[in-house]
Amino acid sequence: MLKQAVPKQAWMWIAIAVVAALALLPLLPGAIDSYAFSFLFFVFIYAIMAQGWNLVAGFGGQISLGNHAFFGLGAYTTAILWSGNYLWGSLYDAYPRIYYFDPVTMVLGGLVAAVAAIIIGLPLLSKLRGDYFALGTLGFGEIVKVMFINGGDFTGGAFGVVAPAGTFDTLLPHYLVGLGLMVGVALAIRLLMRSRYGLALIAVRDDEMAASANGIDVLRVKVAAFAGSAFIAGIAGSLYTYYIFHVGPDSVFDLDWMLLPLMMTVVGGTGTLLGPILGAFVMYAVFDLARIVVPDYHPVISGLTIILAMLFLPKGLMRSFGGRVRVV
Amino acid sequence: MGNSLKAMLAGLALSAAFAAGDTSLANAGDTEIVIGAPISLTGPLAGDGKEQKWAYEQAVADINKAGGIMVKSAGKKLPVRLVVADDESSEGKVASALENLIKVQKVDALLSTHSGPMNIAGAIVAEKYKKFYMITTAFPFEWQPLKLKYSALFFFHPGPGAEVPFEIWDKLPANEKPKNPALVSEDSPDGKGFGGAFEAAAKKYGYTFAVDDPWAIGATDYSALITKLKAADVDAMLVFGSPADTVTLLRQMKELGFSVPYLHGWKGTWTGEFHEALGADSDYILTDGFWSSSYPYKGAKELGDRYEAEFKKDSVTVGAFYANAQVLAQAIEKAGSTDAGAIHDAIFGQEFKDTVVGDLKFDQTGFALIPSVATQWWQGKHQLIFPDGNWTYKPAPAWDKR
Repeated sequence: MLKQAVPKQAWMWIAIAVVAALALLPLLPGAIDSYAFSFLFFVFIYAIMAQGWNLVAGFGGQISLGNHAFFGLGAYTTAILWSGNYLWGSLYDAYPRIYYFDPVTMVLGGLVAAVAAIIIGLPLLSKLRGDYFALGTLGFGEIVKVMFINGGDFTGGAFGVVAPAGTFDTLLPHYLVGLGLMVGVALAIRLLMRSRYGLALIAVRDDEMAASANGIDVLRVKVAAFAGSAFIAGIAGSLYTYYIFHVGPDSVFDLDWMLLPLMMTVVGGTGTLLGPILGAFVMYAVFDLARIVVPDYHPVISGLTIILAMLFLPKGLMRSFGGRVRVV
Repeated sequence: MGNSLKAMLAGLALSAAFAAGDTSLANAGDTEIVIGAPISLTGPLAGDGKEQKWAYEQAVADINKAGGIMVKSAGKKLPVRLVVADDESSEGKVASALENLIKVQKVDALLSTHSGPMNIAGAIVAEKYKKFYMITTAFPFEWQPLKLKYSALFFFHPGPGAEVPFEIWDKLPANEKPKNPALVSEDSPDGKGFGGAFEAAAKKYGYTFAVDDPWAIGATDYSALITKLKAADVDAMLVFGSPADTVTLLRQMKELGFSVPYLHGWKGTWTGEFHEALGADSDYILTDGFWSSSYPYKGAKELGDRYEAEFKKDSVTVGAFYANAQVLAQAIEKAGSTDAGAIHDAIFGQEFKDTVVGDLKFDQTGFALIPSVATQWWQGKHQLIFPDGNWTYKPAPAWDKR
């Protein structure tokens, strides 16, 4: 780990101030109905996804191109549990909003994604490395999508599943839960990376053979990171369901759910704790502003930004501007 | 680290700027009506989006030419301003586009984008924010079960839509009726959905598909599929695929000398780009659509002529989109305001006369039925066959005899 450029105490207070400002934003008059609110909600979702990808790829060194599948699994799990009332039985009749931001449902969304990651991760990570593992996960994403298209009534087939949209009344819970998850995931990863497991993960990333020679169970460490990444993506997918209400194969298994967080992490700083969050803020702001200001040509602006970022900030914002940053 | 945190704070400042922008971009309220539309300006449906944008712009221009929309609550006719946002041809991005239109552009009501799943996503967001979302191009089976209050739809049912080729075949002389038809649908949610409807229709009309294969989106080599079609002696093809894939398939069919008298395409064969890519080879191909300038309805021919004069090609969609704007404008006038609940009351169970798709009668669920159209490409133009077209279907000869 590298030395920090800002005293630890100051960093902590600034981070607390930023999170407090975001938490207090809803108290501003008109804030909840403002565009900034939905903008920030999307930033939170992308930051969570980016953080998940960063765990397996940035800290673990395993380039996963299948995180959109885990996002979709989390989204579908929530929508199916809710629309089919598979969880709360008669309580659903008494409390029609019981599934709305239900933590059990959300955690199950993450767990289904994590279990899928373990099932696919064991064979992939034991046999494949580098580009081959990346392509394997990409293939997994496509397989999952096709399975859901062909899933009949259970998955809603090509159309997907619709959750009760009438439940929505304000974006406030989405915002607060999104903020909470973004902060919670960052703190959890910080703790994780400072634990024995975190050191093992870094060791595996830097030199698998040396890690193995030192008694680290390489496969277990890699599969755990992959499953953790999937769990985070699944939770993000679950949160998205409470916003979009219609979960279809084209929307939640869209490659954008993997590519954009990947890009945000790279721009923010791969293998750093704040990089994915910073990247999500900056990149989503650029994308969104371009969409609003030049709707016909926004991909040109977005593409140009990515090219410039890669040319001038190849190490990402955190490593380029942060100097000798403490990574976690 | 310090600079990074500054960058993050700059992000927050940007968010605040968005919030501040909300008020500056607010519409004038009682001086104009702002209509928003998420449109596919980029992505695979950009071709459709281009036609849709043009149609909405024409409708708004025509409404303003007539003085605007009479709004009782304002006591006068108000001009209409159209604002569009790119949905990037993606279901997920429709929600962002609508957030932008509703919260930043402060639109009073909304016109739909194109395709079922995208419109469902749009209708749900509109419902959340209580803005009326007027839809065309979504299947009723997708939209009706949601029982949404702040959207209405006119389109056709996929079942009857999929029966169109069989109805055409029913009217053909015995020697032209297909004996070995094939179904080739792209491996996508839409392809899967439509494929099922074709299979059901074939059963109903007593046909069996000699080949019923999905095809991979973006494939570059269709020789295996074409060989299979040849081996099965296929004489008619129902093809559901994107413009690019359908063009590739047809080029390879020509290269391999395989032709069928009846080839009917969905999704990928109706755009002008399809004809531009294939030139004279697009002749004889039948295609789907939602409208025809040959319709006898008020304004249909004029709209078609206007499109043709501007783009030097015709369209089988612009009328549906133009009518979508016509219905919304008439509904606002009937309602006397842009309040979503009042627009609901003005559309549900009501009839709208003299649109470019004819009279539209909305049922109590807010749905009105229009027929699916079948045209045949002939010298760069769509010739209307179904419903009630004047054009006589021409079976395609072998490639070297065209």
